[in-house]
Amino acid sequence: MLFNSVDFAIFLPIVFLLYWFVVSKNLKRQNLLIVLASYLFYGWWDWRFLSLIIFSTLVDYTIGIQLSKQDKKHKRRLLLWISILVNLGFLGFFKYYNFFLDNFITAFSFFGNEIQPNTLNIILPVGISFYTFQTLSYTIDIYRKKLAPTKDLVAFSAFVSFFPQLVAGPIERATNLLPQFGKKRIFAYHQALDGLRQIVWGLFKKVVIADNCADYANIIFNNSNEYSGSTLVLGAVFFAFQIYGDFSGYSDIAIGTSRLFGFNLRQNFAFPYFSRDIAEFWRRWHISLSTWFRDYLYIPLGGSRGGNWMKLRNTFVIFLVSGFWHGANWTFIAWGAIHALYFLPLILFNKNRRNMDIVAKGKIWPSISNLFSIALTFGMTTLAWVFFRAKTIEEAFAYISDIFTLALFDFPTIHPAYLFILLIIFMAIEWMGREGKYALENLGLSWKKPVRLAMYYALVLMILWYSGKEQQFIYFQF
Amino acid sequence: MKKFILKILFFILPIIVLAVVADIFISSQLRNSKTFAHGELAIWKDIYAGNIDSDIVIYGSSRAWVHIDPLRIEDQLGGSAYNLGVDGHNFWLQHLRHLELLKHNRTPKTIILSVDTRSLQKRGDLYNLEQFLPFIKQKEIRNYTSAYEGFSYLDYQVPFLRYIGKREAMKEAISIYRGIESDKMIRVKGYKGFDEEWNSDFDKAKKKMKYYEVQLDTTSISLFDSFLKECATKKIELIMVYTPEYIEGQEFTKNRSDIIQLFQEKSEQYQFPFLDYSNDTLSYDKQYFYNAMHLNKTGAELFTDKLIEDIQQLRTLRETQ
Repeated sequence: MLFNSVDFAIFLPIVFLLYWFVVSKNLKRQNLLIVLASYLFYGWWDWRFLSLIIFSTLVDYTIGIQLSKQDKKHKRRLLLWISILVNLGFLGFFKYYNFFLDNFITAFSFFGNEIQPNTLNIILPVGISFYTFQTLSYTIDIYRKKLAPTKDLVAFSAFVSFFPQLVAGPIERATNLLPQFGKKRIFAYHQALDGLRQIVWGLFKKVVIADNCADYANIIFNNSNEYSGSTLVLGAVFFAFQIYGDFSGYSDIAIGTSRLFGFNLRQNFAFPYFSRDIAEFWRRWHISLSTWFRDYLYIPLGGSRGGNWMKLRNTFVIFLVSGFWHGANWTFIAWGAIHALYFLPLILFNKNRRNMDIVAKGKIWPSISNLFSIALTFGMTTLAWVFFRAKTIEEAFAYISDIFTLALFDFPTIHPAYLFILLIIFMAIEWMGREGKYALENLGLSWKKPVRLAMYYALVLMILWYSGKEQQFIYFQF
Repeated sequence: MKKFILKILFFILPIIVLAVVADIFISSQLRNSKTFAHGELAIWKDIYAGNIDSDIVIYGSSRAWVHIDPLRIEDQLGGSAYNLGVDGHNFWLQHLRHLELLKHNRTPKTIILSVDTRSLQKRGDLYNLEQFLPFIKQKEIRNYTSAYEGFSYLDYQVPFLRYIGKREAMKEAISIYRGIESDKMIRVKGYKGFDEEWNSDFDKAKKKMKYYEVQLDTTSISLFDSFLKECATKKIELIMVYTPEYIEGQEFTKNRSDIIQLFQEKSEQYQFPFLDYSNDTLSYDKQYFYNAMHLNKTGAELFTDKLIEDIQQLRTLRETQ
């Protein structure tokens, strides 16, 4: 079920009331309710894929315990590889089988041999890219002796299937989330209220910003050869806000919902469009994924140790794999490669560790140079988003080459004034709230109550006004 | 916890009150719309207000409401006439109009039922569901529309829920309240002639598929039977009409002849005339159509005159027998 659906609006209060009024006095029952609610949530899409997540849970639970009992290095490595192969095997099959088959056939036919394809009608289980990485972090951390395994199957199942973050993250680490299932949650008024505020903000980003931008991005991308360069630029910008509103909105709802149940999840987006360079962008965008790749791929490959060549190689590997994680299409790999190229000069000139704090911290306005850096970084990421959105590499290149024509200076043929106003209001709120974990975290807390309430009502009414389309969250396809 | 729940309830309470008030306001205003939802709202309003009250009523799909001009029928046949053709829907939903018509208006003396190859199909989606928004509390509307994918169970129960996201409906209600009415489309006694030239819809359809095979719906056929029985029992003069269809469009439907045969059998069974204009000269002339299934205004006027003539002949024949 989608977060912005009536089904979820009924599901959540029921689970909330059961959790805090029926099972709150018993830890095991709290966790069991989470598991049952999460399986119901996941099975709502397609009950058949429950078997996959249950199997994955049982495999990694067993391997975790066996790893802790095993001293011999080669046996520990074997157990780890079983976990990796099972998890990545499922992911590879469901997500990449047809991609590899199609490319294999194309390569073969290049040499004059035709093969009859046997592509399967494989449905991608929702959230598989997220929960497989989450369970892998568990077994890898046990292998590295950073984490003790749990013998509580219910708690572990709850960790794997926790419904707020099951289908589109944040990808949680066992070291952060699993211990929270080991302690009884006590209701905390401020935590729950803050969670509700974050849910409202997440819904606003998804329903008001992302879905409205999606309408225009789709029109422009689907008919790109009919539009001028300036309109195509707008299309790319609308997509940039669509994907940000969609994905960060989902994360906000996930984190906010978790807080209603007494859990604290990691921040997943930290105002990435205020980044001053690409390195900062990747410290602020989909943080749970980029840190996962850093900890479980980049560092094992050698990380930043060794010379520039090693750093460059590892950076390219991370970005290409990250791109590939997003989807079985060369466009995603190209998108990753572009970001790797953006990163190149920062590594070569050792500038990738600047800008660690949020821009203009403690100030109202950014400096002119910061503003320029923000605009440049936004422009670069928006250009790369064209590859992310396009269906093929050719389409992406055609889109970009159509931008850079004389028509770039024409007035755009599509220019929805109401959407520009919405985006300005949105970015203003994001700017004002950029020092918090999410824009609304501290915004308005010092205002008079009627003014604060008016703001919340305005947000809710806008969500209701713009609801109804139930556009799928983009990251569900990953 | 108590404080938290009370805080949420106090926050939600004004929203609930607003939702109830908004529902009443939007529904009451929308009912007065002449143009929204392809003009269907105005027809429903006339049905429920008892404004139909006609001797001759026309039923059918869009092929009814763009093909048969009730004003011409009134002029030439006498009495009053009204066109209740419903855009985009098959007999199942056309029957809903019939039910509500009889509940709120006098029984017509004559029903002209426009049938076609799609009549006894039943689409899955509730096309143009906006027309039902202000009338959703009507029992039969609930019964009939719940057989489609359109409204959820909660839409029928919770005030305002069905309006969430329907921005055009809300804007229309506000426009009507302010006295600003759009004049994009106005149906006169349920009819509107389309003054348009041939478009490329059919060519696009042909590119997508070689032919189309109609899947008949058994519940619709049963309902159709019940309807015919009811007309016979109430001694309503029922005239089934297959209005002109452009000849190339006829060839596109694979099982067309089987469906026509079915109508002919029903006609014989219940002793109602079935006037089939598939081979009429109009069906062979593209200049009278704006797509394969729909006559343009000129074509509709010519056809209505032909239909009137044929009805007069039928009546004369019946009188002499």
